[in-house]
Amino acid sequence: MARKRGRGMAACWYGIARTATVDRAAAWAEIDDGGSAKIVTGVTEIGEGILTVLAQIAAHEIGVKPEHVVIGDNDTARAPEAAHAGASRQTYMIGNVVALASREARKRLVDVMADMWSAPAETIRTGNGEIWAENTNHRITMGEAVACAKNRGVVPIGSATFGTDTTGIKDGKGGDGSGRPWQAYVFGCQVAEVEVDTVTGEVQVLAVWAAHDVGRAVNPQGVEGQIEGGVVQAIGQGLMEDYQLKDGHTSTSGFAKYILPTSLDVPRVNSIIIEDPDPIGPLGVKGIGEPAMVPTIPAVMNAIYDAVGVRVFDLPATPEKILMAMREKDRRETMAPQAAE
Amino acid sequence: MVDIHLDAIINGRKVSRDVKPHLRLLDFLRDDLNLTGNKEGCGAGECGTCSVFVDGVLMKSCLMPVAKAQGATVDTIESLAKSGELSVLQKAFHKAGASQCGYCIPGMVMAATAALRANPFADREEIKERLGGNICRCTGYQKIFDAVELARDVQNGRVPATALLETDTADGEVIGKNVRRIDAPSKVSGRLKYAGDMTMPGMLHVQVLRSPHAHARIVSIDTSAALAMDGVESVITAADVPGKDGFGVFVHDQPIMARGKVRYVGEAIAAVAAEDALTAKRAVAAIKVVYEQLAPVFDPDEAMLPGAPVVHDYAPDNITKHIPIRVGDVEAGFAASDLVIEESYSTQAIEHAYLEPEAGLAYVDHDDVVTVVSPSQNITHHRHMLARIIDKPISKVRFIMSPVGGGFGGKEDMIYQGMLALLAMKTMRPVRLVYTREESIISTAKRHPSRTTLRMGLMRDGRIRALAMRMVCDGGAYGLSTEGVMRKAAILAAGPYAIPNVQIDTYGIYTNNTPSGAFRSFGALQTQFATESQLDIAAERLGLDPFEIRRINAMRDGDMTHTKQKLGSVSLMRALEAAEQASRWEAGAPTVRGPSRGDLNHDDVRPSVTLGTRFASGDASSEAAE
Repeated sequence: MARKRGRGMAACWYGIARTATVDRAAAWAEIDDGGSAKIVTGVTEIGEGILTVLAQIAAHEIGVKPEHVVIGDNDTARAPEAAHAGASRQTYMIGNVVALASREARKRLVDVMADMWSAPAETIRTGNGEIWAENTNHRITMGEAVACAKNRGVVPIGSATFGTDTTGIKDGKGGDGSGRPWQAYVFGCQVAEVEVDTVTGEVQVLAVWAAHDVGRAVNPQGVEGQIEGGVVQAIGQGLMEDYQLKDGHTSTSGFAKYILPTSLDVPRVNSIIIEDPDPIGPLGVKGIGEPAMVPTIPAVMNAIYDAVGVRVFDLPATPEKILMAMREKDRRETMAPQAAE
Repeated sequence: MVDIHLDAIINGRKVSRDVKPHLRLLDFLRDDLNLTGNKEGCGAGECGTCSVFVDGVLMKSCLMPVAKAQGATVDTIESLAKSGELSVLQKAFHKAGASQCGYCIPGMVMAATAALRANPFADREEIKERLGGNICRCTGYQKIFDAVELARDVQNGRVPATALLETDTADGEVIGKNVRRIDAPSKVSGRLKYAGDMTMPGMLHVQVLRSPHAHARIVSIDTSAALAMDGVESVITAADVPGKDGFGVFVHDQPIMARGKVRYVGEAIAAVAAEDALTAKRAVAAIKVVYEQLAPVFDPDEAMLPGAPVVHDYAPDNITKHIPIRVGDVEAGFAASDLVIEESYSTQAIEHAYLEPEAGLAYVDHDDVVTVVSPSQNITHHRHMLARIIDKPISKVRFIMSPVGGGFGGKEDMIYQGMLALLAMKTMRPVRLVYTREESIISTAKRHPSRTTLRMGLMRDGRIRALAMRMVCDGGAYGLSTEGVMRKAAILAAGPYAIPNVQIDTYGIYTNNTPSGAFRSFGALQTQFATESQLDIAAERLGLDPFEIRRINAMRDGDMTHTKQKLGSVSLMRALEAAEQASRWEAGAPTVRGPSRGDLNHDDVRPSVTLGTRFASGDASSEAAE
């Protein structure tokens, strides 16, 4: 058999949002003329789909359709601070703060309508671009409601800030590292199935099963996109990518030499989304961007071992390293057959 | 050089004009015709985002001299949704969630269009082969394959066109639904403008002089010849910085251009703003720098030895950051263990390889606000740092985050925005800088390469009694995110396991290599690679199933972390169970049992690639002989 298959697994954990410091974010919300929602916050899309997630959250909280949410440009002179786009923090920090700001804007509108309809505010419902009072025949569009509010001198706006209850860790001289670096943790586990070509040493990752707790999943397709992208980036590091330097000069300054995963290198990724809601934030969301990448490499290395009995300790697991390790294993086993017992 | 005259049909319109003969077709389309939908990702025909149709054939327009387009019919991404109505394939990309950052997507849509033209019935494996010349760094390709299959089925009438529409949210609930991405239409049609697609009237072009040495003192910089050139507006060096120079995510140890000495190959030394990029490039070549070579250090372990060359005076031991974690008494834990395993691991530097190279635009506005438009992942912190560097109040510094064509941590560093701001202030004109792929790779941060030793002590029943890890990382020439990476690496190093005795030490070290910085999974990838590999080694030695050994040690609700934080709900057991069940895992110790496993090769596993066999003329069944 020239090709051998095997399987491996690995688990992971990860902290959501900035590490060992107080994280924070702010947002403004407005229910605009015509009943659309306008959200302004100081951080935005780097490709993960946060704009869509924020539109869904604002739509959910205010009661409009996601396509009727407008998100303002990200600009330090025109938007409130929401810190940075990283640390798997966007859905957690910005999502939660947009929910809070949206709730405040909605409350302004609801209070006007409750007063107009002489109905208790808690009986006012919003959804799908409409606002109504339960058990009455009061029902108008959000656009009409905004006009009502403005006629009474009220612009339905809201703002919010969201911060974490976290601390630094004691990492100075003699420190033990104790502290509260995050308030939300996620956990995950991946299984990889690989095929190793014993003639060329080439490894193909054929499938990955990736089970990750993300808290409440706002957009499952977006979560899958993060998992699939993370798994493939990890396979790049695990098997092929290598920024090489000699005396400070790189020999890999282009994609002809710096090898990236292509459409032919990727496994089928089977994502399993676990929703263990965060009890602290208003939405129960957590995050997925970075944790998706963490278990893949050890799962693949454990699978290679399962297939051919060699373990790669020094990444990446190139065909050359696999072949060398297999030869070394054969040499050891033929020289000392007893020792293998 | 004399212009040449070009006649061509571009996106259905006749184009007849004089062009510079050195241009590539891509430059002509983007710069002369403002068709910025197709992007430049690598300039070398490797990534495919510049792909267009020339006489109906898929071509990488970065490899084609413009003169070759004489008489040709050229169609760009803009041709596919000319009246604003997306093509079936573009709608399928929207529906399937196939675009993330979107930078590769114009080329990917062109390649997929070509694939379905070549074979309207192409199966998933053939689609993969036909997209093999296009790189995507965000999606892992799965949703791109899904999109092409969906478009194929709609085009063939096997699936109704309504499958391309928005998920039904008639019940009013939108959380938990696959609402289509709101930014996808502009990405699949090439309409979204990234920083490198933006222009302003009167805009100057910026080029950067970079260090050819890893460690050298700058004796002198002579910019006079460059400044004297026709078309050059300004040349800046560290001497032009008005405020307190220095940026970095944790320590502000990096000047916006080398100050006094260079610390790595590719470090910026001077920047030129000129009427066009070619003039700026020529001016960069005319800058004369005299260096005095210094002894370099390239190995982080050597950099920690007494007497090693010092990269930064403030850190004479070259240690950027050391993070300790201590729980219990590891030596006592090892002494009480039935089995102690010690292994060494290493991981390499890797490049973010976002498809969008760094680019930015800066100008001084009517209120004297210095404004920088760039794909920065951290505009908040950047404006703080820039205000100090250019000595202005924060209210006079503005950062606008342009659409980010992939970040992964690599765009958290303010690596070029300082030069742009300074040139805008010097010239009082808009200035733009677009990195080449080579510049992006040599001068920006990498993932920290690591060397780790890991000792793990276990009881016969699989419980981990003690864990000691020491990881040394090459932080390269500047601090960037090294401190934070070392901290996260250490906090998460021992994995989600309840271990009574833990000792972790992570070290980020200065060397004269390309700086290391933030990269998705931020140190936790390096440390957990070691821990999770070693758990399998332990499982084999103890005869335990890999899931079982993790369950035995798993943190549970209310457990303490290694930083002595009490956890709330711990979902690890759920994740283990979900992965085990979904993969139909066959239990057993990891004793190289691949050859005898019964759980392999199900229908949720892709076929192995046998590239080329589809096209082999003769006997494609030689594989079967094995």
